[in-house]
Amino acid sequence: MKILAPIKSHDELEMLVESGAEELYCGITPEEWQQEYSGAAWLSRRSPKGGGFESWSELRKTVDDAHRAGLHVFITLNAPFYTTAQMDSVVKIAHRLDDEIGADALIIADPNLLLRMRQEKIRAALHVSSVAAALNSEAIRFLLDFGVKRVVLPRSVGLSEIEAIVNAVRGEVEIETFILNDGCAFEEGFCSTTHHHAVGAFCTGLSGMDTEFEGVAGQDLTYSQTVKLKRNLLDYWKYIWYLNGNGCSTAPNGLPYGPCGLCAIKDLMRIGVDSLKIVGRESGPFKKLASVKMVADIVRKARAGADRLYLIERARSLRNTQEHCDAGFMCYYRGESPVPEEEALLEQTA
Amino acid sequence: MEWTLHVSQPGDVRADFLPSECARQSASSADSRIQKTMSVPFRLMDEVYGRIHASRIAFGTEFCENLIGDPHPLTAVLAEVRRQGLDFTFLTPYVSDRGIARLRPLFAVLLTHAERVGRPMEVVFNDWGVLRLLRREFPELEPVQGRLLNKSLRDPRITGLLPDSPSGLIQLSTTAALKQTNLDSSGYVQLLLEMGVGRVELDNLPQGLDLEAVPPELKIGVYVPFGFVATARACMAAGLGYEAAQKFVHGASCKQECQTHHLIYTYTNSPFPNRDQEFYLKGNTYFYGHTDKMLRNIDAHALEGRIDRFMFQPHLPMWN
Repeated sequence: MKILAPIKSHDELEMLVESGAEELYCGITPEEWQQEYSGAAWLSRRSPKGGGFESWSELRKTVDDAHRAGLHVFITLNAPFYTTAQMDSVVKIAHRLDDEIGADALIIADPNLLLRMRQEKIRAALHVSSVAAALNSEAIRFLLDFGVKRVVLPRSVGLSEIEAIVNAVRGEVEIETFILNDGCAFEEGFCSTTHHHAVGAFCTGLSGMDTEFEGVAGQDLTYSQTVKLKRNLLDYWKYIWYLNGNGCSTAPNGLPYGPCGLCAIKDLMRIGVDSLKIVGRESGPFKKLASVKMVADIVRKARAGADRLYLIERARSLRNTQEHCDAGFMCYYRGESPVPEEEALLEQTA
Repeated sequence: MEWTLHVSQPGDVRADFLPSECARQSASSADSRIQKTMSVPFRLMDEVYGRIHASRIAFGTEFCENLIGDPHPLTAVLAEVRRQGLDFTFLTPYVSDRGIARLRPLFAVLLTHAERVGRPMEVVFNDWGVLRLLRREFPELEPVQGRLLNKSLRDPRITGLLPDSPSGLIQLSTTAALKQTNLDSSGYVQLLLEMGVGRVELDNLPQGLDLEAVPPELKIGVYVPFGFVATARACMAAGLGYEAAQKFVHGASCKQECQTHHLIYTYTNSPFPNRDQEFYLKGNTYFYGHTDKMLRNIDAHALEGRIDRFMFQPHLPMWN
């Protein structure tokens, strides 16, 4: 099980490798794309400014140096789809990433682009982005027909679901899961909104809108029903706040907030997950560094045979934000019951 | 033009209806705020199409695997559909492995029914895993690509403003791209056809739909008068049944709390003049309603013959 870290400049490479990153992924928005498309038509789901590499030469240097350090580099071309006009540009970019840059894999969401990559005989491996919403074993088997090497499971796939999927496709495809940072209120592949700077994210803007509950089937809501619904709505907005990195804030120790799966690392290792993805291509170097260090700390101890309960306690101490861990909304793999005897032990510890 | 009526129970099955009347008789309250907002597009549909003669009934859910029922309600609807001599389409959502297991017996019911009545049965898939299941185990059922697999942006906060925006907010090439779908590619369409998918369903996009480059061998249907914005496996309504820390877990079970209410958001914090824009949350999914302008836009496509089917949903399409 490897630690996959985001990168967006050559300056970040050395610190990420030193901190424990074992694979890297990034995006690029070439100038020729920016000249043709702006606004809401993004090449790889990040704003052209600050979401990835902006020059081919820096990307080439980064990939070369990463290879020298023994790390593979995966590059995103993961828009939900590309129009026919865009596809010609994307195929050219893919060839350049394959031939000139030496990308080890392309991360793709659009089945049409997967098909084109196979037809174009791209040598880089094909990874399926979480945006493709492969939520079940049948969907993964469908994608295997495109010759993919790895599938990134969406954030919404829980531990027991991951285990069932890994058991179903073991040996046929690598499975990557989310481990740290950004959340998504919706199923990422089925969210048709934009994060365009003019309007921001749909989910985080909801709490600023006027709201009104209505009953259906001709039934007016009673006062107590409405109160219960409004309280639930407040809990929902709190949940969104957690998904959004606690309102894009940082803990007093400077570590980044945001959804977290550190407590589940031992389970993910036992299940046989191949790679743990740290989110945040667009993040600053400190957030990336802190994220990789936290994940690497738990992974190293798990590899050394530390038991699950110790690792959970260790993860919580690393986060050092007990009230947020207790709230539950910061966990990627919430709602998964621990083994009963461990649950009793956890209660005793608490 | 073919019309499909999406129903929730056998008593809703009918071949002849007036859109506004059908909406009033549906499960939503007649004097609800949504009904008031939607009265304009419903009236326009009444004026343009008059009494509608539906040849097909749709049943099922596109958005939530917890709403996948057992075979009994499906069998009851199929019996009424057969009695009235109509065609049938079954809608399916995106699913986990658990959802795949729930769908299998329903597909078996559809297959038995298709053999009995001698009519093909359509199944709308919104998940590639469901398509694979259909092709492998139920090849006699006709797969139709659902609207969730059309990835066009449809964010009514902003995309509805783009075609008229002189503000330089966005480039013309971007606006053009936003009106297109993933169906412009002949390679992709060929792939669909090879997998036995000859029909797709789309949403009517707030920014308009450009279907000019879609290969003609692919048949297109469009949902009216609601489009989907975003959907989640973490459901706000399901949270009503849980203690705070256990709320909004992806894929959690529920008591179908979504069937009792919906939530209307008004975009009062818009940086643009559309501060009266509404969105509707029903269960795990946000929807937008069609405007008068959007309906006229889609009707133009229908007149040109590029769209051959409307799927009419008289209220927010989130029912079991």
